[in-house]
Amino acid sequence: MMLADAIRAETWRLLQNRTALLWSIVFVPVVGLAASIAGNLFIDDKISAVRDRLPSQLRLERGTLDLGQALLEAAGNLANPALLAFLLIGAASVFAGDYRWETWRLITARNSRPNLIMGKAGAVKLIVLAGLLLMLAAAVIGAVAKGLIFGNSFVFHFGAETAQSFGLMFLLAFVRVVQFLLLALLAATVTRSMLAALFVPLVIGVAQAFLAKGAPLLGWQMGDWPTMLLFPGDAYEVLKALIQGGMMAAVLPDGAGWRAVAGLALWSFAPFFMALWWFRRQDLSKE
Amino acid sequence: MTSVIETSGLTKTYGAVRALDGLSLSIPRGGVYGVLGPNGAGKSTLFRILLGLIRPTAGEVRVMGQPAGDPAVTRRMGSMIETPRYPPYLTARQALRWLALAHGMGAEAETDRWLARVGLTEAADRKVRGFSVGMMQRLGVAAALMTRPDLVILDEPTSGMDPPGIQEMRSLIRSLADDDGVTVVLASHQLLEVQRVCDRVAILNRGKLAAEGKVSDLTASGERLRLSATPLAKVMAVLGERGSVQDDAVMASIPRAEAPALLRALIEQGVDIDEARWVGADLESVFMTETSSVEGDRP
Repeated sequence: MMLADAIRAETWRLLQNRTALLWSIVFVPVVGLAASIAGNLFIDDKISAVRDRLPSQLRLERGTLDLGQALLEAAGNLANPALLAFLLIGAASVFAGDYRWETWRLITARNSRPNLIMGKAGAVKLIVLAGLLLMLAAAVIGAVAKGLIFGNSFVFHFGAETAQSFGLMFLLAFVRVVQFLLLALLAATVTRSMLAALFVPLVIGVAQAFLAKGAPLLGWQMGDWPTMLLFPGDAYEVLKALIQGGMMAAVLPDGAGWRAVAGLALWSFAPFFMALWWFRRQDLSKE
Repeated sequence: MTSVIETSGLTKTYGAVRALDGLSLSIPRGGVYGVLGPNGAGKSTLFRILLGLIRPTAGEVRVMGQPAGDPAVTRRMGSMIETPRYPPYLTARQALRWLALAHGMGAEAETDRWLARVGLTEAADRKVRGFSVGMMQRLGVAAALMTRPDLVILDEPTSGMDPPGIQEMRSLIRSLADDDGVTVVLASHQLLEVQRVCDRVAILNRGKLAAEGKVSDLTASGERLRLSATPLAKVMAVLGERGSVQDDAVMASIPRAEAPALLRALIEQGVDIDEARWVGADLESVFMTETSSVEGDRP
């Protein structure tokens, strides 16, 4: 019950912070949707100019657009760097807010410290869920807009296999985003700084991406233990490839999936439990 | 007299600094208890330990019979430590609503009633980023009381308030103790306010207990006989070191039993006595005496 209180209070407080909500979960889907519509309008304008000069027998038929497939593709692109970076704003506000505004003293007296940290993590998971759902909604709206711009007809094929792939992809994206944001929890708890909560995960993420590019020079291949344990971004890509199938999945070494799961679990649980351990012994005489 | 707070040999050090130095204190249940001391005396450190925000370096502390910081105990406490702060994007009403949720409370928190009780009804929907220190204090007190605690700890509750606000806060604190049966422990630098509102006080200095007791006892022990008489020189000659001149009068530090003999002696010396009355020491003079004597004892 006390954990539920902590989650409820954190989530309610975040809902009042409209600036953080705008930048963390609304900005990327809205700007992405606007860019997609603008891009498609531009292309249609160029195509129309050419099409009007072609003889009628050479004109292309307007095809159909599968919204189910569009949804699946969107799920595969959910954990993109832009969304990760902007979701950090909301996460940093939750994780470091009580240090910045010196409000720990108001809430620590009536709840346990593990509950308070888990409450923050719970609230951030709800932001992530909201952010991912908005991204999917924007992707579907973008697909419909694209169909309308290009005069496509719509179909919606979403069978059991597609639904399973979609569900797994969505879950994987959720885990990857939460894993990344938990770095902000650790940074905020240790440094008591909002800026650190914003920038430490970014620096770590960029460093991991660069180092992952150089991994083959060390003889490490995608799916090996070192890449999976050191680079959670690669672990996410491996699991995504295994869900989607295709060429990349075929060339992965045996057991790559389990190693990727271990890597993502390590990078999720380690920051969380380190933050929890640190917070339990933290002197809150001055937030 | 049952105790709501018991400390024994309580010590807290920050590096080389001893914020609390073997403090043993017993705060009775019920009434208003003042914790006084100059800056750095250890008041806020004591409060933070009582609330479980920090751990003592040594010694024991029990609150309502349980170790300090036990969530079962802290849930029965309300507190305001120094000037409270809130997320700036919240209004006063939202700030209380957020805290009510954090404390597992719903409508029973009666946030509007508490905002009214601390005089913030008109500012209820204003963002706290525009609040003055005094308004923040009022909101902090409302937050501390909203949970219907058995024990309230208030650190400088009237800091930054105007005189009417101070008077309202004094009435509120007194009514909490008298009408609601809440034990209030407060720290303040406004000694006159403390004298008016507190039943007992502890005076801390450099982390140690310098004095403790009922306000009436502490001030009575310093009572003096005020003599308006002429000539003052003759009065001083009779009193010697037991007298001092203040505002055209002599303050005589003598026991009450000696007063008749003193007055007879002065009349025999030809002193004209216009007025003789007993004056109790105010808390400020007790405070100054106690804090300076302990300081003087230190190397």
